[in-house]
Amino acid sequence: MASRFRSREAWTGYVFVLPAVGLFAVMGLYTVGYGLALSFAQWNGFTPQWTWVGFGNYLDLIYRDPAIAPVVQGAALRTLVVMIAVPVLTVLVGFPLAVALNHITRLRAAFRTVFFLPQVTAGIALFYAWTYALQPDGSLNYILRHLGLGSIAQPQGWLGNPSTALPTLIVVMVLGSVPVAMLLYLTGLQSIDQSVVDAARVDGASGLRTMTAIIWPLLLPITGAVVMLNLRYALQDFQTFLLMTNGGPGGHTLVLGLESYNLAFVSGFKPTLGLSSALGWTLFVVALLLAGINLRVLRSRA
Amino acid sequence: MKARVFVYAVLIAYAVISLYPFALMVSGALKDAAEVRLDGHLIPSNPTLATLAHTWNELHFFTYFGNSLLVTGLTTVGVLIVYSLAGYAFAVLRFPGRRLLYGMFLALLFVPGITMLLPVVILQQKLGLIGTFPGIILPFVNGTAPLSIMLLTNSFRTVPAELKESARCDGAGELRTFWSIYLPIGRPALITIALLTAVPTWNEYVLTRVSLSDASRYTLPLALQNLNSSTAPQENVLMAASLIIVIPVIILFVLLQRYFVNGLQGAVKG
Repeated sequence: MASRFRSREAWTGYVFVLPAVGLFAVMGLYTVGYGLALSFAQWNGFTPQWTWVGFGNYLDLIYRDPAIAPVVQGAALRTLVVMIAVPVLTVLVGFPLAVALNHITRLRAAFRTVFFLPQVTAGIALFYAWTYALQPDGSLNYILRHLGLGSIAQPQGWLGNPSTALPTLIVVMVLGSVPVAMLLYLTGLQSIDQSVVDAARVDGASGLRTMTAIIWPLLLPITGAVVMLNLRYALQDFQTFLLMTNGGPGGHTLVLGLESYNLAFVSGFKPTLGLSSALGWTLFVVALLLAGINLRVLRSRA
Repeated sequence: MKARVFVYAVLIAYAVISLYPFALMVSGALKDAAEVRLDGHLIPSNPTLATLAHTWNELHFFTYFGNSLLVTGLTTVGVLIVYSLAGYAFAVLRFPGRRLLYGMFLALLFVPGITMLLPVVILQQKLGLIGTFPGIILPFVNGTAPLSIMLLTNSFRTVPAELKESARCDGAGELRTFWSIYLPIGRPALITIALLTAVPTWNEYVLTRVSLSDASRYTLPLALQNLNSSTAPQENVLMAASLIIVIPVIILFVLLQRYFVNGLQGAVKG
């Protein structure tokens, strides 16, 4: 009787997960497997046959193909810059903002709502608004000139000048990632035992010292989560780059995700689909490594 | 006192930065074609609603709005049905392979979007779904699997077992227990997931761009991009269109932000 009951429960379980598993098998496993297979082949998407090249695509990307490897290396360097800058800046902006928000009671909810807008509206509309602001005759230059800061204004536009384009995109990305970081820090701050902070005060610690010696260390796990989230985001996101600069000017904002996109969708009849897949899989492996390191670090703390 | 003033000054400064792009959308949308080319004045000298009206009417915004609503709505409903069933199974039912399947779904979290993008488009072609709404809705639904399953499983786990037992004693079947006990209790999680699905789907650009080619099926982001790549893009029209895309998201967020915020916290903590 009991076992019949069990097996009926098992069947119900399978029926309940079937839609999710079916979708996952087709849209997840099949596509990921297909992408992996394709990364070992040469194909332009039109011929009926693949040409198998083994690890050739990976080698071409990393060093072998003089037409592709230098581009990929440059993109890798820029991706690395984004992966360092975005998490660091997000913590540097998000943490003080959360401390400030935690300090006030009036208008806290209103500020939080306003701060969140660039996060929930992230997409083409927001990016076009930024692009509009950053043009040569755009509102950012206008404001700078009227504040007497005309020397910082960019006559070519902030996205048109090769030396300001990447930093500008990083700032736009950070504005989108600060809200979640701020929210997590705020949650952490509110969970800190007030008596610990009071004890430090009684011992004569200044506000700054309490912050650096007590509150910041207590919130390190949150910093870990914020850094991890933004590493992933910086490694994977290319929508900002695609929409705001499409890699320009002159390839100065080309990142790995965008290069993989270009190899897949703007290569015409050239057989670069395998290369694109190989690059996508390289990013996947890096993401897995990061996740592994993250788990390691979190475990050693616990 | 001084410290408080400083704190408010910092918060207001950041609020200004956060609102800046939206102020530009409003300002640009209120300018006419001549003024928008002049300079970056934030306050339009002859504000006009003509640009917004023109953008809304001439550019068939109702079609694109409808497309966006349809895609976002169907994706959200799909996510809620498919993953609440799965979440119930993972949280409540015992069956062999449960942990393995759950782990597989979570592993999907680590696959970058760009790694899936090309194979998904090739699959759409093979299934004859390229350029159709199901062709983009299915991958959208699957894309939310890790987060949705995680949040719903956790939420259903908090339901006390006695509730289920008593439903059983009253002769309720599995589907009925799920429907009349677990779903109502899981409502906050369901609303969170609906939001975390609907907002990115509404904003989604990349997959729709490479998948939809027939302009009558465009969603709002594609329609906006189409405007920009037409012969002479006018910034005031672009800003008006951007505003039209962004306003529904802002309204949704302001109304339901409690769930949004809890969901984001829960997603990272869990």
